Amino acid sequence: MPSRSQSLDIVLAQVAELDALAGAAIARPGSEADAVDGVVPGVVATPATPGVLARTLAWATETGHTVVVRGGGTKLGWGPPPRSVDLLLSTTAMSAVLEHRHGDLTATLQAGATLAETNRVLRRHRQWLPLDPPWSDRATIGGIVSANDSGPHRQRHGAPRDLIIGMTLARADGLLAKTGGIVVKNVAGYDLARLLTGSFGCLGVILTATFKLAPLAEASRTVSAEFPANAHVAAVVADLRAHAFTPTALELGAPPATMFIRFESVETVVVDQAEQAARLVRGHGGTSVILTGEEETLAWREHEARVFDRDGTIVKLAILPGELAATLVWLDATAKTRQLDCVVTGRADLGVLYLALDGAVSEQAAFVTALRERLPVGRGSATIQRADRELKTLLDVWGQVGDGLRVMQEVKRRFDPTGTLNPGRGPGGL
Amino acid sequence: MDTIFLAELGRIVGPDGLVRDLGELLTYQSDGLVRLREQPAVAVLPDTVDQVQQVVRLCHRSKVPFVARGSGTGLSGGALPHPDGVLIVLTRLNRVLDIDIPNQQITVEPGVLNLEVTRRVASEGYYYAPDPSSQVICSIGGNVAENSGGAHCLKYGFTVHHVLGVEAVLPDGELVHLGGEALDSPGLDLLGVLVGSEGTLAVVTKVTLRLLRRPEAVQTLLAAFDSTDAAGNAVSDIISAGIIPAAIEMMDRTTIRAAEAAVHPGFPDAEAVLIVELDGPKSEVAVLFAQIEAVCARNNGWGVQVARDEAQRGRIWMGRKAAFAAMGRISPSYYVQDGVIPRSRLPEVLRRIRQLEIDSGLTIGNVFHAGDGNLHPLVCYDEAVAGQAELAEQVATEILTYCLDVGGSLTGEHGIGADKACHMPKMFTPEDLDTMQLVRAAFDPDQICNPGKLFPTPRLCGEVPGPYRAHPAEVAGLVDRV
Repeated sequence: MPSRSQSLDIVLAQVAELDALAGAAIARPGSEADAVDGVVPGVVATPATPGVLARTLAWATETGHTVVVRGGGTKLGWGPPPRSVDLLLSTTAMSAVLEHRHGDLTATLQAGATLAETNRVLRRHRQWLPLDPPWSDRATIGGIVSANDSGPHRQRHGAPRDLIIGMTLARADGLLAKTGGIVVKNVAGYDLARLLTGSFGCLGVILTATFKLAPLAEASRTVSAEFPANAHVAAVVADLRAHAFTPTALELGAPPATMFIRFESVETVVVDQAEQAARLVRGHGGTSVILTGEEETLAWREHEARVFDRDGTIVKLAILPGELAATLVWLDATAKTRQLDCVVTGRADLGVLYLALDGAVSEQAAFVTALRERLPVGRGSATIQRADRELKTLLDVWGQVGDGLRVMQEVKRRFDPTGTLNPGRGPGGL
Repeated sequence: MDTIFLAELGRIVGPDGLVRDLGELLTYQSDGLVRLREQPAVAVLPDTVDQVQQVVRLCHRSKVPFVARGSGTGLSGGALPHPDGVLIVLTRLNRVLDIDIPNQQITVEPGVLNLEVTRRVASEGYYYAPDPSSQVICSIGGNVAENSGGAHCLKYGFTVHHVLGVEAVLPDGELVHLGGEALDSPGLDLLGVLVGSEGTLAVVTKVTLRLLRRPEAVQTLLAAFDSTDAAGNAVSDIISAGIIPAAIEMMDRTTIRAAEAAVHPGFPDAEAVLIVELDGPKSEVAVLFAQIEAVCARNNGWGVQVARDEAQRGRIWMGRKAAFAAMGRISPSYYVQDGVIPRSRLPEVLRRIRQLEIDSGLTIGNVFHAGDGNLHPLVCYDEAVAGQAELAEQVATEILTYCLDVGGSLTGEHGIGADKACHMPKMFTPEDLDTMQLVRAAFDPDQICNPGKLFPTPRLCGEVPGPYRAHPAEVAGLVDRV
């Protein structure tokens, strides 16, 4: 059952206080629909300007209230369950594409803008923010940056931390600060944008982010391949690399053993590369079809859904790319032993995989623990992205962070000395 | 510096690792920015990570500042020694520790030279992408400190995009491992902020770098233009066409002549040249190359040279990469700036610089990474002419103002260092700088790790840097200006 951490009287008083502070109605009592991992927030505030957001945040810090930031709410379940959520700060009233400098291939976006809407705007000049994490119709720029979340196109374009060139943020003490700028190359000062990227809202509230963009490709083809066994997948990846193929996405899925190899460029090039890749797939005992247009779009949507539209646990697994074959064998065998349903998708060439797990919670916990034992710190990780409370009590969501944790804790202490922002839920339990 | 401290330092690094001789210390007075110099109290050349750790621990205990230095090719005084501090020279930490082709990575010590990385993996068909012009002599440790770029970062990104993990000694002497061999280590991206922190957060002792597969094809073109405007428009047209070449470089008349005089690359006698390089699958390069040739023709480009082989490609790049050093042929001294502008503003900013050249009477050469708007104006002057050094500095500062006016940056790849620390408040508010200091304080609460760099300080900014004086080692003919 969701639980609220404060009595309604107190909550109503806080709503009035925040509305007065903003000079507008920005706050309301939290409801069950706003629950963060089972915890109903006391107050939900939706500031419409950076100044009001900063004042609201300063208020929380000064009065000792905990804050969780929400964009589209697609990743609120990541991290351990919150002990309390006094204030849920929504960025959805700040959702503009502030500036698209198409001649410079850059854009500045407000945190509350959804990725899908952003890319609808950028498409007018045949450009896009080349990120394709799950749920992009709802996921916001702020959330995607906070989680450093990405999708299949990471193969070509990288993750948010590779594309971000500037940021404005509100600090826990209410000061507004910026880092980086609007130019694609810039080493002036510390790169706080990268520090905030992937910090899960525990250092500050992202207000705007500026990215380098990519031109939309003229043509696209996807080789959709199926193999008799997982072992073939790693061999195909190695072979594509050896022959200097340049896919924009190189995904695997299992079971059954599948691959999606995407090429985006000018028409003649993608046709040529896709045909060559299909030959290579055949050489490895696989069958394939070359997809384009609607069919291709649909295939990618289904690929994302394989893990992300299922109920149950989602584990993000990072491994050394060279250990792909052995890892797939282990996942398959261990899931069978533990009577778990385990679906795998992910970046075949980068060693970043996503697992959807279903089955007895104790078996899931044992599975993840055994998986982590295979991965010494620095050589891989298995983090829980979504799980029910029971599993979260059995497992540390983040896994081992390594000897950098002490500095991370110190950074957190400097940015947020009162532990206002998403306390205990950030990476490493910050 | 007290004798007990010095004795302890000597015990850690051994007699041949300790430099106290004033003559020998001259070598370390400055980095590539020879205008700024400082005599370190002492320099150490550790052989092992353990020695680095012990030196830093000792400094931490005694609250003695320290500065890490690699090859000393930086252009912003980032490795400028502290007069009361220890200079930790990392050139002896130059081992390649692990080459891991299946995982496309290499682990090296910080003193390994940039080009050496590619040399070690070239036979396997791999290379290391960031390629600063100084890549034959600059070290990986320095590249990490400065987040170094190079001509090919337009397509492939900067050092930060190619460092998977580091081992580093924190200012209190503790060893940490940030990032790793696999992607996405859980935790804050401290690696992302350490890269480019100009040696102010830690001393990096091991670096794991991402290697890239050599592209199937590379094509390089050089085209001449009758104005920098026309060349700038060609750059805009290439980007607008949705093409991201591996590199787009521009040189103007002054730098073309200097390069010709120094290394004879066979550049046309023009107002501007563009060097455009494409790489990727053969079929893609062929199609896009034709589009780029058409863009150059549309913008009245002429004298097009297409590199037919590796030798000709090498010659074109030699001309470009030698441009800084070559300026010495046409001017006794020069300031290099490193400002960045949004690339669409190129023609307008270049026109302002041209006007400034006329108004000031000083020659200003331009050689730069046009694709990403990173200018390298070279303000020429003669210190023998009274007042000219001061004028040159004013002119160089004025150019930075132009960059900031159009929303640009003080520096694209050379760093802030000691050189531009005073300009930081022009780009950042006190709140912005204070937020950066939160990170600094978390890593280095005592401010002993490369103090006086990156952040504006009264000591640096209260004083006007003097005009150029020849580096003593330069006078002695020991080093060339970089």
